[in-house]
Amino acid sequence: MKLPLAIIGAILLAALIGPALLPWSHDAIDWGAIRAAPLSPGHLLGTDSVGRDLLARTLVGTRVTLAVAVAAALVALLIGVAWGATAGWVGGRVDEAMMRVVDALYALPFMFVVILLMVLFGRSILLVFIGIGVVEWLTMARVVRGQLMALKERPFVLAAEAAGARPFAIVARHLLPNVAGVAIAYLLLTVPQVVMIESFLSFLGLGVQEPLTSLGILVKEGADDMDVAAHALLLPGGVLVTILICLTIAGERLRDRFS
Amino acid sequence: MTAVYEVEKLVITIRGVTVARDVGFRIQQGECVALAGASGSGKSQCCLAPFGLSPGVASGSAWLLGKDLVGLEERRLRAIRGRDVGFVFQQPLTALTPHLTIGRQLSEAWQQAGAPRPTRAELAEALARVGLDRPGERLEQFPHRLSGGQRQRVMIAAAIAHRPKLLIADEPTTALDAAIRADILGLLSRLRAEEGLAMLLVSHDLAALADHADQVVVLNDGRVEESGDARTVMATPSRPYSRALIAASPRLDSPRAPLPPVGAPLIEARGIHVSFPRPGWRRGRVEAVAGADIHVAEGEALALVGGSGSGKSTLARAIARLGPIDRGDVRWRGRPLPARQAMPPAARRGIQPVFQDPVASLDPRWRVRDIIAEPLRHLRPELDGARRAARVAAALEEVGLDPALADRRPATLSGGQAQRVAIARALVSDPEMLLLDEATSALDVLVAGRVLDLLESLQRSRRLALLFITHDLAVARRLCHRIAVLDQGKIVEEGPAERLITAPAHAATRKLVAASH
Repeated sequence: MKLPLAIIGAILLAALIGPALLPWSHDAIDWGAIRAAPLSPGHLLGTDSVGRDLLARTLVGTRVTLAVAVAAALVALLIGVAWGATAGWVGGRVDEAMMRVVDALYALPFMFVVILLMVLFGRSILLVFIGIGVVEWLTMARVVRGQLMALKERPFVLAAEAAGARPFAIVARHLLPNVAGVAIAYLLLTVPQVVMIESFLSFLGLGVQEPLTSLGILVKEGADDMDVAAHALLLPGGVLVTILICLTIAGERLRDRFS
Repeated sequence: MTAVYEVEKLVITIRGVTVARDVGFRIQQGECVALAGASGSGKSQCCLAPFGLSPGVASGSAWLLGKDLVGLEERRLRAIRGRDVGFVFQQPLTALTPHLTIGRQLSEAWQQAGAPRPTRAELAEALARVGLDRPGERLEQFPHRLSGGQRQRVMIAAAIAHRPKLLIADEPTTALDAAIRADILGLLSRLRAEEGLAMLLVSHDLAALADHADQVVVLNDGRVEESGDARTVMATPSRPYSRALIAASPRLDSPRAPLPPVGAPLIEARGIHVSFPRPGWRRGRVEAVAGADIHVAEGEALALVGGSGSGKSTLARAIARLGPIDRGDVRWRGRPLPARQAMPPAARRGIQPVFQDPVASLDPRWRVRDIIAEPLRHLRPELDGARRAARVAAALEEVGLDPALADRRPATLSGGQAQRVAIARALVSDPEMLLLDEATSALDVLVAGRVLDLLESLQRSRRLALLFITHDLAVARRLCHRIAVLDQGKIVEEGPAERLITAPAHAATRKLVAASH
């Protein structure tokens, strides 16, 4: 768990402070160095077909992708925990109804939902992660509900009631803190899924829009040029794969520790 | 004849601390060997560590069907655990997954052993084999609907589903009530005879072992104190430790100190009915308590006794406003007690509960200090932080705990310490009555004895009324003025403790008295 998180940390740090240290911004065009090869002077990793610095673009793209992913995962966490906790705590018919809603949403082709949202509300980065968060909370809701159902049968919950704690206080102070570990593990597992979705949407041209960039856009641009400049595909692709693998491993190990 | 399981010179260390040394025993097919000892004697470690089920590291040798388990990698051990060995653990309350039906869980145990998915009839037959009533209906139920004894039967059914050669039962009856204990041990003995199982039984209850084990190994502090034929050891223990262990179980005929005087009526409950919805999609309800009347006066202790599923916890929780209630009149000092959702803090203060499982009744994420302070925070909001801290410290002292424990979390406490914390939490708001729901039955014999001493001294020093739910008539007789016997949701007999034990009138009472001897 330490190594994958360390790698993620390093990538995050580079993405956050890297662009400020470079002479080129992600959308500045160097007319003197169009399609520069890696290790050419002034451009460590070369430039793309219109002369933009690839290192700067990859760092900014990573930043945007991770920002969207974390924000969307947090939206998923918020909705999922609220929904799951309510269903698990209230139980009975309310629980039945709420979980059938989750089942129904599970059955929807979520990519279709996201695309529909894009079409209805126009393309914006805010909408990308709201849309993703709205469909990614389902697993979280199921997990939290299951945990809560198990926890609320434990005698410490009854003891809290005897101690005069109101239902809200019991949920907030006893149940949710005990669910937190598992919820964080699933949060960690949601992030790579969202990274995938965001990259896919951007690849299709539905997600992040130029001049802003993301790993998905970079992969698409790299793919267009891959017969002449393979590094333009391999670099953002490599970062994307590393992020996905590291987050998935870390999330699964954390989840296993709690179950 | 070769042994099914043989342990030689077994040494177990946990993080550098040796918890067992030079332990040895052998179990033949159809034989039962018992490991006995107080908690911390290393008996559980000795049976779990060779199978990779505890953090302990084993050295020496442990031969199962001619294969040495010591040093095997986890993957191989897992295969052996799934195929050749069945396990039954102490806590049937937590060993079943709460959100899956009994049928699903049993079916899983089957499939994990590599068998095809069992049919409904096979599952029902497996439940019938471990003596569960209405097996077909049980398959649809969730674990919380079953009593401790019933859950333990389900666990046993799951453990023997794959027809193992060796059954390891780690304190299988410690968390159960006395009448059920005898039944479960009887069931294990019957299955052992029917299936030719070798059995390793771990327990601190030497009296129970005598009837069911062939050999007994008494462990103390990780060493073998004494071993040999079970009946011989029981009848003529050669070591002082074995004698102390045998003496620790309370008896019905031990002398008792006079009980504190009884005051004005405190709580009176009449015509209490509680029912639960029938499982599945069918309509209708199952009655758990059917018209019970009980009353407790100031300073009085009433024991509610009965087998598992007799409704004693349900009844006590209903009148303490901690559980569901259909109808019935509950009065506190003559005035109606508000409903569960409407209990004002002042009314909550009167009755405080202590539950059976000490670890599960403390929030694992809270510190002892905050756990004990919780009732004060809600029920005595007028106290400021400093006064609250002083009361918490006083409560810790009253239950005989080191104040240094205040910063610990429940996972680092022993069972006895955790139960004392639970008692301190119940006492801190100065209640007039304690609801003790099997408060000593999940504890080790020697520890339970000390917790009972504490309860007895609190009963006298604080003039507390006690509603004491227990299955152990000897314990009830020691602390309680009166005993009420519940059977299938009805109070079938009620009267002064001594009279009820010496001259039981109802069949259920007679069964309980017989199980306590």
